[in-house]
Amino acid sequence: MKGKTKKIIDILITYCLLIVVAFVFLFPCLWLILASFSSTGNLYSIPGFFPESYSFQSFITLFTDTAMYNYPKWLLNTLIIAICSCVFSTILVILTAYVISRFEFKARRPLMKGALVLGMFPSFMSMTIIYILMTQFQLINNLFGLIAIYSCTAPMGYLVQKGFFDTIPTSIYEAARIDGANNVRVFRTITLPLAKPMIVYTALTSFTWPWSDFVLPKILLKNRDNWTVAVGLMSLGETEFARFAAGAVFIAVPIVVLYFLLVKNMVSGLTSGAVKG
Amino acid sequence: MESERGGRKIVNSIGDYFRNIPAKTKSFFQKQWTKVKSFGAGIADFFAQADWKVLLSLLFCGAGNIAYGQYAKGIMFLLLEILFIVFMALLGGEYLVGLFTLGTKESDPWSGVVGDNSVVLMLMGILTVFIIICFLLLYLSSLRSALSARLTKLKGQKPRTFIEDVASLTGRKFPYVALFVPLLGVMVFSVIPIVMMILVAFTNFGGEIDVPTDLVDYVGFDNFATIFGATNIGTTFFKIFGWNIAWAFLSTFINYFLGLGLALLLSKKCVKGSAFWRAFPILAYAIPGFITLIAFKFMFSTMGPINYYLSDAHMHDENIVDFLGLDSTWWARGIGLFVNTWLTVPTTMLLATGILSNIQKDLYEAADIDGASKRKQFFDITLPYVIFATTPTLISQFIGNFNNFGTFYFLRGGIVSEGYFRASDTDLLINWLYNLSISNDYYGIGAAISLLIFIITSAISLLVYVRSGSYKKEDTYR
Repeated sequence: MKGKTKKIIDILITYCLLIVVAFVFLFPCLWLILASFSSTGNLYSIPGFFPESYSFQSFITLFTDTAMYNYPKWLLNTLIIAICSCVFSTILVILTAYVISRFEFKARRPLMKGALVLGMFPSFMSMTIIYILMTQFQLINNLFGLIAIYSCTAPMGYLVQKGFFDTIPTSIYEAARIDGANNVRVFRTITLPLAKPMIVYTALTSFTWPWSDFVLPKILLKNRDNWTVAVGLMSLGETEFARFAAGAVFIAVPIVVLYFLLVKNMVSGLTSGAVKG
Repeated sequence: MESERGGRKIVNSIGDYFRNIPAKTKSFFQKQWTKVKSFGAGIADFFAQADWKVLLSLLFCGAGNIAYGQYAKGIMFLLLEILFIVFMALLGGEYLVGLFTLGTKESDPWSGVVGDNSVVLMLMGILTVFIIICFLLLYLSSLRSALSARLTKLKGQKPRTFIEDVASLTGRKFPYVALFVPLLGVMVFSVIPIVMMILVAFTNFGGEIDVPTDLVDYVGFDNFATIFGATNIGTTFFKIFGWNIAWAFLSTFINYFLGLGLALLLSKKCVKGSAFWRAFPILAYAIPGFITLIAFKFMFSTMGPINYYLSDAHMHDENIVDFLGLDSTWWARGIGLFVNTWLTVPTTMLLATGILSNIQKDLYEAADIDGASKRKQFFDITLPYVIFATTPTLISQFIGNFNNFGTFYFLRGGIVSEGYFRASDTDLLINWLYNLSISNDYYGIGAAISLLIFIITSAISLLVYVRSGSYKKEDTYR
């Protein structure tokens, strides 16, 4: 009898905690979503957390009133940057991880150590100098510069993918090589199909990184028309709160949907990174 | 008790780490010495085995290859050597000098004289050094290739043809071919900028000195002296450093245990529909961080909803708390911790969830048979396993938090507190670095601070790297 009451109390506490956690995580999101549908735009004129009346006005202004805040242009810029760097980084990262995991060559260990050391430098260090150089060579305000930086620095984060390739048994490769397939063919016909979940994970992370990065575009894009959504939203003050909320909801929704669809890949990617370090 | 044991282990390993420094340094230099010796032996071997045809390669790269019938390869070596010599004669020499002087001709806007651009000179100088290194590698490989052509011929075989060499690019040489593009990218966008920034740390670049109007000079360790000195910059550094360490420990600790707790809570048997409950933290995980941070800034602003309730719908504006304002150090720090927790707990939770699902069920079955209580199973199986598996990420989380730029950039960007040099009292070193080098053009000092951050983070990682020897005992839990 006593054990049963104890159990019920335990369950009660568990669910209370869960409700608190759900509330803490949901509430700010809910607040932002409701604010994006408010009919007044100013933070000050929303009474407390919830607007008095609702409308689609902020979404309409977001896409039509582009004189000061050209959201459609920002969205287009962000899309271009995110898609291009997603494609290039995924190719480079998978290739790097595969080669380092699968081949024994002289420069292998030095390269791995080098990547380890490079990763310890604060990223601002290279960003500052890239900023100085780009101003000297008048390359600022260039979307392709951003794409190049995102894609070219991506291979440094190859460790998670390498951990994945390490788990594929070598016998498969040896069998293929005995059959006379060369390295390029082995990569195409054996590695790629096996590595599909890892490629999805890599593509997702290398898409969301430029999609939600603010530091690099903030430093390198000075021209309002070249801004990405992140830089643009950062420029919105308290009087434009509803516009910010609408813009934020609009770019957060696709990402959130993607994450929920691919959460399994995310978890396996995260954990393989954890165990293999 | 478990954590106490873990704590003692960590303290011991830190002690071991420092005790092992002399031995490690010695073995490091011994290794380098063996490398030098084997290189010397290689040179001796080369001269012992080479004939005049191969020795011709010492002067003209590829000559040996041509003499042994590898025409295409030899001509390529030769062309590259000529290209290098032409480059060095026309530009390289000048650039190398420029790397050391950083320009000698001052520009004069009055008479319209265009002076040297120190930054461009530095970049070109570094590129020249890289080109020289590449050429040396090429030179060595041409010698090696000439010698191997001779040795194959001595054995009575035909040296490899050009077509065979090209074919080896998808076979034996595949790693180098495949890694060429990634390596080049990392070189251009990471290695060269970092090398350059290390050099900038020892110059007076920034502040009063601006390119291309002024010339930059090397000043030795002056920037470091300023940072550790009794100047305004020095006091700011130590204040920020102290807070930064405290922040990194506090936020990592909170995030880790809350995330772990949440994962354990969700994995309890009595929780129905754990996918539903897990959705809320995942929602927070998926929203881009900058949106969350700006949203929280609005939430805590003087005009925001929280102050709306505090001031009773703006009837009592005297009750408004300026949470993130100039004078609210501890409010802002607390809010920063909370917001950062909100942002990072989901990551830890997902990680711990993945790890929990990997524990082998038979461990629990065995424990059940042995009659261990659930409580005992939790403390003797679950917790040690999870802690074991997540420790490597704990370190990367610590470093991530140490260099957490976003939180205070968004919450309190632009605030300069009293007694601080271009920083606010919540700023971390990385924020200060941004303020100094990007917003205010103090490049030299900024570069010196980045080097200090590098030293701190690499010291922490090294500690772990050394400790990771104990991680190799992975079988314990498999």
